[in-house]
Amino acid sequence: MKLHEFVGKKLLSERGISVPKSVLVRSSEDILKLKSDIEKLGFPQVLKSQVLVGGRMKKGGIAFSESFEETLSLSEYLFKKPISGELPFGILIEEMIEHEKEWYFSISINPIEREIMFIFSEMGGIDIEKVAKESPEKIIKGTERDINKLPSTFSDVAEKLFKIFKKYDLTLLEINPFTPDKMTALDAVVHIDDNALFRQKWAQEFAEKKKPYHFVKLDGNIGVIGCGAGIVMATMDLIKSLGCKPADFLDIGGGASKEVTISALEEVKKLSPVAIALNIFGGITKGDEVAKAIVEFHKNNDLPLFVRITGTNEDEARRILEEHSINVYEDMERLCKEVVNYAKEVKAC
Amino acid sequence: MLTGNERVMVQGITGKYGRFHTEKMLNYGTKILCGTSKNLSEKNVHGVPVFESVKECVEKYGVDTSIVFVPAPYAKEAVMESLQNGIKKIVIITEHIPVHDTLEFVNYAKQVGATIVGPNCPGVIVPGKIKLGIMPEKYFKQGSVAIISRSGTLMYEIASFVSRAKGISVAIGLGGDPIIGTNMHEAFKFLMGRGINEVVVIGEIGPAFEVDGIRRAIDDGFNGKITAFFAGRYAPKGKRMGHAGAIVEGETGTVQYKEMVLEKIGVIISKTPSQIAEVIEKW
Repeated sequence: MKLHEFVGKKLLSERGISVPKSVLVRSSEDILKLKSDIEKLGFPQVLKSQVLVGGRMKKGGIAFSESFEETLSLSEYLFKKPISGELPFGILIEEMIEHEKEWYFSISINPIEREIMFIFSEMGGIDIEKVAKESPEKIIKGTERDINKLPSTFSDVAEKLFKIFKKYDLTLLEINPFTPDKMTALDAVVHIDDNALFRQKWAQEFAEKKKPYHFVKLDGNIGVIGCGAGIVMATMDLIKSLGCKPADFLDIGGGASKEVTISALEEVKKLSPVAIALNIFGGITKGDEVAKAIVEFHKNNDLPLFVRITGTNEDEARRILEEHSINVYEDMERLCKEVVNYAKEVKAC
Repeated sequence: MLTGNERVMVQGITGKYGRFHTEKMLNYGTKILCGTSKNLSEKNVHGVPVFESVKECVEKYGVDTSIVFVPAPYAKEAVMESLQNGIKKIVIITEHIPVHDTLEFVNYAKQVGATIVGPNCPGVIVPGKIKLGIMPEKYFKQGSVAIISRSGTLMYEIASFVSRAKGISVAIGLGGDPIIGTNMHEAFKFLMGRGINEVVVIGEIGPAFEVDGIRRAIDDGFNGKITAFFAGRYAPKGKRMGHAGAIVEGETGTVQYKEMVLEKIGVIISKTPSQIAEVIEKW
């Protein structure tokens, strides 16, 4: 889960890393109420839209203000300005830190090395990706044991950041830029492991309510539901290779219940797909229970459903579906062909 | 990795899934000798005696292998307990284990020379010999082809095709988490040790595990046949597709990139499960 910059900076400053002084505001009323605190930051000051998407600077999510009045008017503008479709959680108003040098530093978990690793460059800033591509020799990578390869003035900060990374179950901690002029972190991108939220209570308030399935909206019009991420992706791929586009990715997981199946169908229905393909294949999924859920949804909706179902009690499941004239198939390729043929027949793809 | 002679312990045997799959594995012929649980109200599950500690299990039954169903918040403790008591093979089924916990026990296993498969995986099956996992066994018929997969249900789907075409020598579900105990390269090492030279690799979007592992296996001298199938060709960039590990970040995470690189080193790319069957039938 991504956390906002202001949350990340709070973590840093609590563990002894210098960050700019700041005030977080969530409305114009906040700004008026916190006038004296905001003025204490001095002018010019920096206004930073609190969004979770990257590349905010280039997308106009950062502004500079010379006076309190300007801070008020610029904030009103920023509150309403979506960055890559995302409206800000609030605005972080910060003191301006004059600086020349910008370094890049990040810590993440390298899945191939199976180690926590850092990436460092003395050429940080908004063009770091270009640096990594064009001058890879300017990038230093290593594990905690390699901190001695970093500038000696930075080793203390690097050690603290590794501690923060581990203590708070982070999966990414990126500081870009870090300015060595004032030894200050000017930005902080922090991702926390969703699976560790049970022991990171401080982060729970930022967590979205968990749905019992994993859902991603896509841009096509054939709904896709299945059990298991791999099989759902494979179903999407087949539909696409046959010439239509999937409307979504929805994984109901293994052992899905009747309730979860119905709520998944309702979720996909909201996207107004031309039809829904369900690829239910499982060892522990009770086929008859899923079939009953599909029948129940089918009674209240005339959305065409195409079902592939195997697993425990699969014969019973097929019987239930056929009884209600729902299209049911034995393998996934057939399922995808049939749903695509239907979509083509009704000129929906 | 597995010979069929393993003396197995089930950690988390009294939970819903532990209980269910213990019965399935027993029916398959897996030698489950004992289980552990923090819930001591039950003395046995499907006739398997239950203990509080791994130590008791090891002392009384000489177990050398464990399959873990313990819930995520307690999984690290359970795995560490096994490793500290000399268990050398561990399959972790549990989903949602914090990645920092996984890092810790995976690195500890390396130090003590133990093998971990998973977490968040369907386990390992050597058809006709031993099932240490949760896969529906009817799709895994004995034969010559090995399957190595990141994904669970997709492995079952493809196993049914492989079973009909040629049969399966071993199927290893590596797991979908970003950090896994046995990676593609290590799985290939096991196959090479067994002289298995027909392999189906099932991969997905995300870090180029498969490419890295296959390349290293070929460098090690693997000269058998490989066909690979990838899920997520049309996954959008930057979105997590179910598995914690399945996210396209940059060029090397895409299916297209992985297929291009693998084709260059002699891997046959299959675009559908039925194509896999066609490919292996010709081997």
